[in-house]
Amino acid sequence: MADSNVATRSRSSLRAAARLSRRDAINLLVVAGGVLFVLLALPSLLTPYWVVTSTSAVTFMIVALGLGLLVGRVGMISLGQGAVLALGAWVGARLLFATALPYPIVLVMTGLITMVLGTMIGLPALRVSGLYLALVTLMLAGAITVVLVDTNFPNGGSGFLGYADQSTGTPPSIRRPSIAESDPAFFRYVVIVALLMFLLALWHIRGKPGRAWAAIRQSEPAALAAGVNVTVYKMWAFALASFVTGIAGALLGSASHVLYAYTFPTSQSIVLFAVVLMGGVYTLFGAVIAGVLLQVIPGAFTVWGIPSEWATILFGVGVLQVLTTAPAGIAHQLPSDLARLGRFLFGVARRRIPAGGRAP
Amino acid sequence: MPSWSNFQPFIPIGLAAGGVYALSGVGMVVLYRATGVLNLAFGAIGAMGALIAWTMINTWHVPAGIAYVACILFGGVATLLYGMVFGRLLAARDPLVKAAATLGLALLMLGVMNRLWPAQVTRSITLPTDNTAFTFGDASVDWTQVIAVGFGVVMTVGTAIFLRVTKIGTAMRALADDREITATLGVPVRRVEAAAWFGSGLLAGAAGLLLADLVTLASDGLTFIVIFTLSAALIARLRSLTVTFVAAMVIGLVDNLITPINSITNFRDMTPFVLAIAALLFFSRERQYSFARGGIR
Repeated sequence: MADSNVATRSRSSLRAAARLSRRDAINLLVVAGGVLFVLLALPSLLTPYWVVTSTSAVTFMIVALGLGLLVGRVGMISLGQGAVLALGAWVGARLLFATALPYPIVLVMTGLITMVLGTMIGLPALRVSGLYLALVTLMLAGAITVVLVDTNFPNGGSGFLGYADQSTGTPPSIRRPSIAESDPAFFRYVVIVALLMFLLALWHIRGKPGRAWAAIRQSEPAALAAGVNVTVYKMWAFALASFVTGIAGALLGSASHVLYAYTFPTSQSIVLFAVVLMGGVYTLFGAVIAGVLLQVIPGAFTVWGIPSEWATILFGVGVLQVLTTAPAGIAHQLPSDLARLGRFLFGVARRRIPAGGRAP
Repeated sequence: MPSWSNFQPFIPIGLAAGGVYALSGVGMVVLYRATGVLNLAFGAIGAMGALIAWTMINTWHVPAGIAYVACILFGGVATLLYGMVFGRLLAARDPLVKAAATLGLALLMLGVMNRLWPAQVTRSITLPTDNTAFTFGDASVDWTQVIAVGFGVVMTVGTAIFLRVTKIGTAMRALADDREITATLGVPVRRVEAAAWFGSGLLAGAAGLLLADLVTLASDGLTFIVIFTLSAALIARLRSLTVTFVAAMVIGLVDNLITPINSITNFRDMTPFVLAIAALLFFSRERQYSFARGGIR
C-alpha cells in the first residue's frame, strides 16, 4: 500500500517535472525566436538612429542584469552601478587604446579589472548592513564623478591616464571588434555578448551561489546558521555584477567611439536603479525591460519632441509605484495584466455572442 | 605645501558648510530614528524650496523674507506630504525599501526642477547677511557663515534636548525602539511621525536655502550635496546626534581645507566617500551583521 503511494507520488512528480520541462521548452523557444529575430531581422528593419539606440539599450540590459542580480537575488542595493559602469568604460577604453589584443580578450580583461575594483570598494560595506552598502555606493557614485571630471576618459594619449588635450580636431576613436565595425554589425555583436552575460548569470542563479543568495535574501542569520558564508557570497554577487557591468562599460565606449565625463553623472546611478526596479528584479526578463526603458523611452521622447526631463519624472514615479504596489516590476505585472485584459476581452466577447447563437 | 595663511580663509567656509551638513544630518537622523526612513530626497527638497524662493524674489518680486519663509515651509510641507502618503504605505517594510522609495521622490523632483528651472540659467540667492563681514585673523567671515555654524549647533543641541525632555520627543525615541509597542502604549504614532516628517522637512528647506547661498543654486548640485550629509549620518551610524554634528563639521572642514593643496584640490569632493569608507572599515572590525530581515519585501 505504502509502496503504491510512493509510486503514485513519484509518478505525479515526474509528470510535474515533464510539465515543467515542457513549459521551459516553450520559454526557451520563445526566447530563442526572439533572439534570432533581434539578431537577424531587427537591424535591417530599424533606421540608423534606432540601431544606435538599440545598441545602447542592449548594453544597458547587461548593466541592469548585474544590478537586478544584486537587488533581486541577494537583496543588496547598490546605488553606484553607474559609477562601476564608468569605471568599466574607462578601463575598457584604456585597454583598447593601449593594446592590439583581440576584442573579446579586452572585454574579459575589462570585466575582471572592474570586478576587482568594484569589489574592493564594496568590501567594507558588505560586512555591515544593507543600508550602509546603499549609502556607500551612492557616495561612490559621487566620488567617481569627481575623479572622472579630473582624469577624463582615455582618448589615445600617453601615460597612465591615456588622455591628451585635443581641443582641436577629432579625437581618435575607441575601436570596435574588426568583425563588427559597422553599426548593425556591432549591434549584433553586443546582442551576442549580452546573451553570454545572461547565460553566465543564469548559470550562477541555477547553481550553488544562487541557492546561497536566496538563503541570504530570506534571512541573513538563517543563512549564517545554515553554514552559508554570507560575506563571501555577497562579495561573489558584487563581483559578478561588477564583472558584467565592466564589460558593458567597454561596449559603451566602442559604441560611441569617444567618452566624456559628463555622460556619467551621479544621477545616472539613481536612474539605473529606478529602471531596474521598474523592469523587475526577480526575473532576468526584467533586465531586458529595464534596458528598453532606459534607452528606448528617452530615444522615443527625443523623436517625438518631448523634453527629456519627463523621462526622469516618469522613472521617479515608477520607483514609487513599484515599491508600493508592484514589487516584482513590469516583468511580472505586464504578463498578468495582459492575461487579465485577455480574460476581460474574452468575457466581453462571450457576453456579446450568446451561447450557440450569433452576435446580436 | 601652502602656508597657514593660505588655509585660513577656508576655515570659516568649511565651518559654515559643516554647520549646514550638521543641521541636515540631524534632520535625517531624527527622521530615520522616528520613522525608519532615511530620506535620500533631503537635498532635492531643499533645492526645490530654494528654487521656489528664487522665483518668488526674481520673477514675482515678493519680499525676500517671505520667500525665505516659503522655502523653509515648502521643505516641511513637501516632506510631510510624502510621509503621509508613502511613509504610511511603506511603514511595515524594510528600511532599505523605505530609503529606496525616497530616491523615487528625488528623481521626480529632479525631473520637475530641470523642467521648470533649466540648468543653463545661472541663478543665485544672496542672503542679506552676506554683506556684513568681519575679519578674524587673516580670514574674512560673513554673518551667513556665522548663522550656518550657529544654526548647526543650536539644532543639534536643541533637538537632543527636545528628544529628551518633551513628551513628543520621548514618543519619537520610543518609536525608534519599537513602533508596535509604542502604538500599543497609546502613543498617537501617526501624529508623532507626522511631526518628525514636518520637522525634518523644515530643516531640509533651511539647509537648501543656506546651501543655495553658501555653495550653489543648481538642482543637481544641491540634490547630491545630500552625499556629504549622508556621510556624516553614516559615521554616526544613523544614531548619535553628537557624532553626526562632529562628523559633519570635520567633513565640511576637510573638504574646504584641501582647496589650497594643488595636488589634491580637484579631488576634494571625494572627502565624504573617503571618510565614510574609513569609518566603515573601523566598524567592520566588529563584524556586525544586520539581523533585520534582509532583502526586498
